[in-house]
Amino acid sequence: MADFLAGHAPTLTHWLVLTSALFSIGIYGMLTRRNAVGVLMSLELCLNAAAVNFVLFNRYLAPTNLGGAERLDGAVMTIFVIAVAAAEVVVGMAIFVAMYAERRTVDVTRLDALKD
Amino acid sequence: MLANALPTLVFYLLAAISLTLAWSVVTGRRILRAAVSLMGVLAASAGLYLLLDSPFLAGVQVLVYVGGIVVLLVFAVMLTRTTELLEDHPSRHRQVIGGAVALAFFGLSYCMMTAPAFANRALTALPKNDVAAIGRALLDTGENGYALPFEVVSLLLLAAMIGGIVIARKPAALVKSEAHHG
Repeated sequence: MADFLAGHAPTLTHWLVLTSALFSIGIYGMLTRRNAVGVLMSLELCLNAAAVNFVLFNRYLAPTNLGGAERLDGAVMTIFVIAVAAAEVVVGMAIFVAMYAERRTVDVTRLDALKD
Repeated sequence: MLANALPTLVFYLLAAISLTLAWSVVTGRRILRAAVSLMGVLAASAGLYLLLDSPFLAGVQVLVYVGGIVVLLVFAVMLTRTTELLEDHPSRHRQVIGGAVALAFFGLSYCMMTAPAFANRALTALPKNDVAAIGRALLDTGENGYALPFEVVSLLLLAAMIGGIVIARKPAALVKSEAHHG
């Protein structure tokens, strides 16, 4: 058992398949959820998968000879992604609360005021 | 041997947990339970960061995502609770479109990610102290530094905070009329 596991350590491809599967699930949720907060949660899934991907590429593909030292650009990008996700959730929550006060619903299939 | 087997086991365990919970985030009918599942997915991602030798990012993930963003989402759920507590299943039409788009994306990225360029890459070396290295990169004004994006993100957070307060507060006319009646 231990031999089998040690021989099948996850490679970069395994990691990428995992993160793109998480991203795909997020896309499915964004297109099928009716509650706007649910759509935002699916979006968070996508952002999180992308953030893991940045670290992955940093760990496996980063050029090590830039500037004479090991680089951490992927980790820095992940921090930016997390900060932007936080900002986005704050604004999203404010919009949903205002929308609920105005129309008593956050069902995205019924919010079509801009359509006509 | 066990030291080599353990990371593999943890990877597949975390992968199974995060995929299962992610599926319940997007299909669960109780939105609050979906928020709890999202918390599980994000915590599992913190574990993935640990597996990738990035303990600082795991800490940031738990602090900001699990501790902050999920709590905000739970507040959003509670403040916008409608009379129907259970969300209907999406219509067949939406399920088909959503599934088709998601599968198309997954298929496309799968084809790219199994490319030979990605197949046999070894882990690259990390700086000795990655927290110090991240801090230096964030405040470096040189050509490989991130001082300007760092400042832009701080402005973005400030703008989001002010925007959140302005959008979510009651309109001034409503506050005035309530004070008048009260």
